[in-house]
Amino acid sequence: MLTTVRRLLGGHRIRALIGKEFDQIRRDRRLILSLILPPVLQLTIFGFALSASVSHLRLGVVDESQTPESRELVASLTESQSFRLGGQYASVDQLGAAISQAQVDAGVVVPYHYGRDLQRGSPATVQVLLNATNANTATIGQAYAEGVIESYNQQRQRAGPQPGIARGDTPGPRRRGAVRLMPAYLYNPGLVDSWFITTGVLGLLLILNSSLVASAAMVKEREAGTIEQLLMSPASTTEIIVAKIAPLFGLLSLMMLVALAVLALVFRVPFHGSLPLLLVGGVLCILSGISLGTVIATLSKSAQQAQLTAFFVNPPLSSLSGALNPVEAMPGWLQPVTVLNPIHHFATIARGAMLKGSGFATLWPNVLALLIITLALAALSIWRFRKQLS
Amino acid sequence: MSQTRKELIQIVRDWRTLALALVLPAVLLELMSVGLSLRVNNLPVVVQDFSNSPDSQRFLDAFRASISLHIVAWPIDRPPEEALASNTARAVLILPAHFGREVARGVDAPTQLLVDASDANTARLVAGYASRITRAYNIGTSGVPPPGPVHPAIRLWYNPGLSSKKFYGPGIYVLGLSMFPALLAALAMARETEQKTILQVYVSSISAHEFLLGKIAAFTIVALAECVIMLALLFSAFGLRLVGDPTPFLVATLLYAFCVAAFGTMVGALIPSQVAAMQVVALGGFLLVFLLSGLIFPIENIPASLRWISNFIWGRYYIEIVRDALLQGGGWPAVGGKVAILALIAAVFYGIAWRGMRRMQLGV
Repeated sequence: MLTTVRRLLGGHRIRALIGKEFDQIRRDRRLILSLILPPVLQLTIFGFALSASVSHLRLGVVDESQTPESRELVASLTESQSFRLGGQYASVDQLGAAISQAQVDAGVVVPYHYGRDLQRGSPATVQVLLNATNANTATIGQAYAEGVIESYNQQRQRAGPQPGIARGDTPGPRRRGAVRLMPAYLYNPGLVDSWFITTGVLGLLLILNSSLVASAAMVKEREAGTIEQLLMSPASTTEIIVAKIAPLFGLLSLMMLVALAVLALVFRVPFHGSLPLLLVGGVLCILSGISLGTVIATLSKSAQQAQLTAFFVNPPLSSLSGALNPVEAMPGWLQPVTVLNPIHHFATIARGAMLKGSGFATLWPNVLALLIITLALAALSIWRFRKQLS
Repeated sequence: MSQTRKELIQIVRDWRTLALALVLPAVLLELMSVGLSLRVNNLPVVVQDFSNSPDSQRFLDAFRASISLHIVAWPIDRPPEEALASNTARAVLILPAHFGREVARGVDAPTQLLVDASDANTARLVAGYASRITRAYNIGTSGVPPPGPVHPAIRLWYNPGLSSKKFYGPGIYVLGLSMFPALLAALAMARETEQKTILQVYVSSISAHEFLLGKIAAFTIVALAECVIMLALLFSAFGLRLVGDPTPFLVATLLYAFCVAAFGTMVGALIPSQVAAMQVVALGGFLLVFLLSGLIFPIENIPASLRWISNFIWGRYYIEIVRDALLQGGGWPAVGGKVAILALIAAVFYGIAWRGMRRMQLGV
């Protein structure tokens, strides 16, 4: 086995073929461009633009009370990072119109009796309106509003006008202790969104770009009709395939390193785990991407058709991967499908190795799955390629 | 008009193109609405209960009852971090050994929640869910914080069920509409140049305006057909309805269909290679509209150095119009300006395409 490999790689035929591929790639300016540009551009734009963080929601205020108490509440809402003052409105109708015209994202209505109720020590209700068009923003905004008002309540109880009454009427011995929840954010204490996005995009990039480049290279020979010449030459099918893949593989690995550099330098993604594990994952990803590209190429007659076919393959591959959003957000019956998706496994490996510092001991199921997917895709591509040749 | 007919015949002949034009957008709509949603339910949480007292059990029951989180079994002697590292759980809730005693004594019991923050957004959601459950538990059992002096009554407008589909559906509809007609138009236009059939157009009696308008009209029809298919899907599967005054939406849809067809034709006119034109449309139609138009994440989150670009992204205005028409119902006062901007952008695309066409004519 090993000797065949050595003979294959050491033979002058394969060297000549690889040399030819390299020459062709060197002359193709667009190919080189599409190997350097996407990792830098896509990672940067995705990383910066795709941020799910919710901050500075524009808050419209209807203050019917116009008392120090109501102004205090509005101030504590708008002073927070979560909301900023978007406008003062005279009536609820005006506020509703402002929300529906998207001038503000949220609104708070302080009722007329608010100040009086608080001075009397009776509870007051304020209405908070949230534009829930975006469910994610609304969920987080809701938690913000509750949190701000809760801490405002605590402040008032501590420094309030009648703290004695508020505290005194709960009899001490019968009172049960409250649970104080103390969340700690592991692996990403600053809650930086781009760490999640960029590690996912890295997987997308490796697979989608590899398949694109590979299908373009494979189909070119066919389009130009030079594939017959290759077949007439003494080189075997295996030699042709290996020679086609080797230079692409080298260039794509280079692209992976560029992408990792962008991750480390531009986004300052921490690197806690094992680099070899990540590289193994990346290499498997590239190989499965190349195989996928080859399969696409064998299904199409021209570069244009190959690209069109890629439009049918790439969107499901990328949107059902959990690279940009949590897998749990998908409906239950689709979640198991992600097991077949190489991007999903690579994203898990990348996040494990970079953010969580896990090693092979925890990540082996993903590496194994990626390996199996790669082998299956490679076998499929070689079979399709052979069939196409005969 | 015969130009339009010729284009439509060419489209219908190639099954791949036809499928791309009509089937893929619908598939994409279904797939991506699933694949883009950020709001999650049923997140796995591991619990380590060192107290094992009636109080801790009651507290955990509150977690078990929630639909946002579900509790996964985890042996108590294994370090909880392993559950996070192996992606078994999104968070670990640790109840200390003296939890039950302290609650019974009336002392506040600190409880730790370790959250896997490698996905920052989900981490925020988990922490929010957990603290809401805790608050409800506290109010229920200890009776303290008596409904604090100020009580927020939160109303979620336009999408009270917090369904992600309603937000992403319209966005993906716009994305599909921005990509496929433009792609087909660019391909058709570049094909004319690549196969030199454009020379026949030059020597025929057809004028540049007639030629361009014919082409654009054909792809506007394709875009409108796509619209109908996707809107049917939005109305049936996504439960969306037109709210408010539909006229701005109808006008904008016509304009936008023209706009994307003109964009594709423009790219095809300027770049005479089919493969390169396809890449440019994929970049413009997909990447820019996908990323910089507020499709998934709010535009405000884009750093200011990149945000100005989104003012030029045609998809952005249409997304806002569609969301307004399907969810908010603001009508003309809300979106009138955006419709005007769309018309302007469409005119600019058409102008550039026409100039490119004339330059080609002179260059030959």
